[in-house]
Amino acid sequence: MREQLEVLRHEALQAIASASSQDSLQDVRIRFLGRKGELTALMKGLGSLSVEERPVVGQLVNTIRDEIESVLESALSAAREQAKAERLQSEHIDVTLPGRRAQFGTKHPITQVIEEVSDIFAGLGFSVAEGPEIEHDWYNFEALNFPPEHPARDMQDTFFVDNSLLLRTHTSPVQIRTMLKKKPPLRIIAPGTVYRCDSDATHSPMFHQIEGLMVDKSVSFSDLKGILTIFTNQLFGQKTGVRLRPSFFPFTEPSAEVDIACVICGGKGCRVCKQSGWLEILGAGMVDPEVYRHVNYDADNISGFAFGMGIERIAMLKYGISDMRLLFENDVRFLRQF
Amino acid sequence: MKVTSNWLKEFVDFDLSPEQLADLLTMLGLEMEGMELQGAGMDDVVVALVEEKRQHPNADKLSLCRINNGSEVLDVVCGAQNFKVGDTVVLAQIGAVLPGDFRIKRSKIRGEESCGMLCSEKELGLADESAGIMVLPGGFKLGTPVFEALGLKDIFLEIGLTPNRADCLSVLGVAREIAAKLGVRIKTTYKPVIEGTTAVEDVIGVTVKDADLCPRYAARHITGSRIAPSPAWLVKRLNAVGVRSVNNVVDVTNLVMMELGQPLHAFDCDHLAEQRIVVRRSTEGELFTTLDGQQRTLVAGDLVICDGEQPVALAGIMGGLNSEISDATSSILLESAWFKPSAIRTTSKRLGLHTESSHRFERGTDIDGVTRALDRAASLIVELAGGTVSRGILDIYPVKTEPASIVLRPERANALIGIDLPRAEIVDILRRLEFVVTESDDGSLEVFAPSYRIDIEREIDLVEEIARLNGFDRIPTTMPTAMVVSDRPSAHQRLERVVRDVLVAHGMNEVINFSFTTPDAADKLMLSVDDPRRSVIRLVNPLIDEQSVMRTSLLPGLLETVSRNVCFRSLDLKLFEMRRVYMPIKDAEMPREPIFVTGVLTGQRDREDWSHARAAIDFFDAKGIVENLLELLNIPAVRWVSDTPEQYYHPGKSCSIMAGKERIGSIGEIHPTVQESFGLEKPVYCFELDFEKLVVQSRQKRTISAPSRFPDSTRDIALLVSDGVSAESIVSSVRGVKAQEIEQVEIFDLYCGAGIPEGHKSIAVRIRYRSYDRTLTDEEIAGLHAKVVDNLVNKVKVSIR
Ligand SMILES: [Zn+2]
Repeated sequence: MREQLEVLRHEALQAIASASSQDSLQDVRIRFLGRKGELTALMKGLGSLSVEERPVVGQLVNTIRDEIESVLESALSAAREQAKAERLQSEHIDVTLPGRRAQFGTKHPITQVIEEVSDIFAGLGFSVAEGPEIEHDWYNFEALNFPPEHPARDMQDTFFVDNSLLLRTHTSPVQIRTMLKKKPPLRIIAPGTVYRCDSDATHSPMFHQIEGLMVDKSVSFSDLKGILTIFTNQLFGQKTGVRLRPSFFPFTEPSAEVDIACVICGGKGCRVCKQSGWLEILGAGMVDPEVYRHVNYDADNISGFAFGMGIERIAMLKYGISDMRLLFENDVRFLRQF
Repeated sequence: MKVTSNWLKEFVDFDLSPEQLADLLTMLGLEMEGMELQGAGMDDVVVALVEEKRQHPNADKLSLCRINNGSEVLDVVCGAQNFKVGDTVVLAQIGAVLPGDFRIKRSKIRGEESCGMLCSEKELGLADESAGIMVLPGGFKLGTPVFEALGLKDIFLEIGLTPNRADCLSVLGVAREIAAKLGVRIKTTYKPVIEGTTAVEDVIGVTVKDADLCPRYAARHITGSRIAPSPAWLVKRLNAVGVRSVNNVVDVTNLVMMELGQPLHAFDCDHLAEQRIVVRRSTEGELFTTLDGQQRTLVAGDLVICDGEQPVALAGIMGGLNSEISDATSSILLESAWFKPSAIRTTSKRLGLHTESSHRFERGTDIDGVTRALDRAASLIVELAGGTVSRGILDIYPVKTEPASIVLRPERANALIGIDLPRAEIVDILRRLEFVVTESDDGSLEVFAPSYRIDIEREIDLVEEIARLNGFDRIPTTMPTAMVVSDRPSAHQRLERVVRDVLVAHGMNEVINFSFTTPDAADKLMLSVDDPRRSVIRLVNPLIDEQSVMRTSLLPGLLETVSRNVCFRSLDLKLFEMRRVYMPIKDAEMPREPIFVTGVLTGQRDREDWSHARAAIDFFDAKGIVENLLELLNIPAVRWVSDTPEQYYHPGKSCSIMAGKERIGSIGEIHPTVQESFGLEKPVYCFELDFEKLVVQSRQKRTISAPSRFPDSTRDIALLVSDGVSAESIVSSVRGVKAQEIEQVEIFDLYCGAGIPEGHKSIAVRIRYRSYDRTLTDEEIAGLHAKVVDNLVNKVKVSIR
């Protein structure tokens, strides 16, 4: 019995040593250790041994089984490593083939700029307000201190719908609508579509503006400067120079045009900024008391500022677009770049 | 508005570089739109003397000259003949750059050395044409830059004026701004008019009938003048500010208008019937021929200047042909008046006649400056054209305009601007602007604006002046101190972003089309005659007919966009637009402007791919996007109801999209006829959603359940059904078993064709069973599944394959 076990042990170890694959190692396991394997078969002979010998031989059987198990296991793991190494050696793909891409879409650049500007102002405490595009003359002009027959109306070529309705020429009527609904303090912005009868490379009969309005107990022109400086720095970069210079809008006083240092040439002067080093990006000013009168605010106890900017202008500067018409041609080769 | 630096210097002393001047004006609110330097970089073009002149040995038409430039004598070859030894000429030395980027170099001309060039006025950019070189009078120091010697160094400025600054529509006005900023005084240097003995009243009479439109009318009379071309300096000066020369008298009136901002008109006095001027409103249908030769029909109320019989000028806009200054004129009536701005504007606008004169009158001129301009012009006319000025001015000014008193609270001004200027400094700023200021005991100031500042009426106007003169750049940058919490974006605003984000994530490109469209858009969509989208808002003054009505649907614009892209060979398109449409409401003044979300898809489904074949987009691509969108918007009870929702869809491939009982939109393949009318060859799929309804239907609250931790079991069934049976009815039949254990029901195959009887289709359904609280036994699953199959066979009439 002992000899038979020794022979079996020897044969098993040899079989393991000569096995060349994971499969043949599995065969070895079945042949020697399986339920119908040789070791099991041998163990059936244990019963014929004497009572003294039985535990000793039994012990031996266990030792041999453990040994075969452990040698087999390490051979198997070596074979697995070997197989993995071979697989890694043989497999490769052409990684330069294009990936399987889900097609993504794009928001229109105008939408992207509106969202970006709105987000910046949301951070400054401004909420979004809206108003109709087909607007009353009263909201679009009169309440904003453009008297009938005033030359200031020439600044804005108006599309008319009838005697009292028109396509709003700016987003400023939203100021009026908001102030008629709410009392100060107010901080709103109003993005929207506006219209003027004008069409060339820098003018489109339809375009977009964002209006801003802040009214409170003691808002000053210097606060306007502060808000607009933060805004332009966030939109165009931290150190963008900002310049306010006097201008005129019927609904603000004092009024200002706001220029930023040319983003193309950095202020040295180029074709885009007409050699001035400055780019006009928005109009602003302190709300004119006449406007407060139209919305029944007490001009002596409050103050506020308003500003408005052209979205197309900002989009064109941000993305280096020279012809405004590109924005409304909706050529997907253009749109997919955003 | 154009001015020149030299002209400004006649009124104010300043020593500024062109850049400084431009910057100063810009920061005062006079925006610089253009600047041109005359004589800049021309310092190498100098005054020189011809010392010798002889024939060029190799060329008949050239001469060899010895030219003294003050420090040396140079050899110069010249082709002109109009000069002689001893003449003072203009020498462009080596290195000079003449207009047109013409650089002077040392050269050999026909074998002879030439160290420079003698210049003509044309070559210097001083004239359009010139015969021969420029010969100067003597007396200049040799070697002096010629533009300096002749006082021709100048800066031409073009200023973009805002409509409030009528006072700056003149050289004097701009000079006043510079003087105020620099804190210096305006120079006024006009000599008094030398008058003759005849009194003006004896020559002519003036009656102002409508003083409400003409509060002041003044006139002078000059006799014995000779009409002739203007001298060169006057022509040049007018050209510099963009005015064409006519003759000496007309040019003087224009010069004075440019200089002082007061438009003047000169009449040929001999052509004024009855030697009379009557200022009155016109009568309806009155005819009048203006200077430009056009006959104009007036309406009642236009302000006209008449003689004893008929109109001779459209007040403040243009004179008449009948009383024009001609070469034969010798007796001149000069008019200087103040007309009501709105009256001038109304007439000028109606006639489409916009002149330098009307531009100034409609913005408001200086009522106190009326006679000064008259005097200045009369003196100049006598100086240039001769003649005698009759004694006195006819000045009809019955109600003198008094400046209004404005109270300014310095602390209010400081608070509004955000600065802290001492009172004295504020007073100083206002006085520099020629405001009259008196200080009151209560700390406030009483301010009177000069007559030319018609834009100054209120305290806030003074605040602006203080901010402007003190300098916007000297206002600090602060942040509002009050704490404000912005409102949460409305559901409308939040969902607008969600919709765009979802559609973009599904590969769609957002487009923005014009809100106006062509009047036949409804026809192209084959909308029925009573479709509400046929009632549109029309523009009174569209740019073009294709943009003359406000759109009631986004679809025509999108189909146009598809068509345009297809033309450029972009064939695979997934586009959407999310914008307003404009729906008139019966008996309401304002229309509705609801937002629609409309998508169009055409071409191939995926990108070009090396690993699998591409397939054409179909209805279910569009539907899949909408399904995802509606799910993300959390809209419950969505149903797809085939009811031919729109005329512009293929009737068999379209449906309404319902949320409960509300129709929220539609989806379908575009009708082939509509497709053709937009010039499209491939099918286009479209969905349209009413965004306002999506907002209403969208549920904010989501119920989230924890996933089951027990194993699932799936069963597939292949069903044979007749074509009329919808997939929805099969799924709802399975769902109808109402067992909690039915976790998911999916249609995973659809087949018709070989092996399937005519009029039938095979549908494969996969059902996943799972319980929340235990592992289901085989018996339980078998029991449930049997119920499901039973339901399908008995209620939906399917057979199991
Ligand atoms: Zn630049």
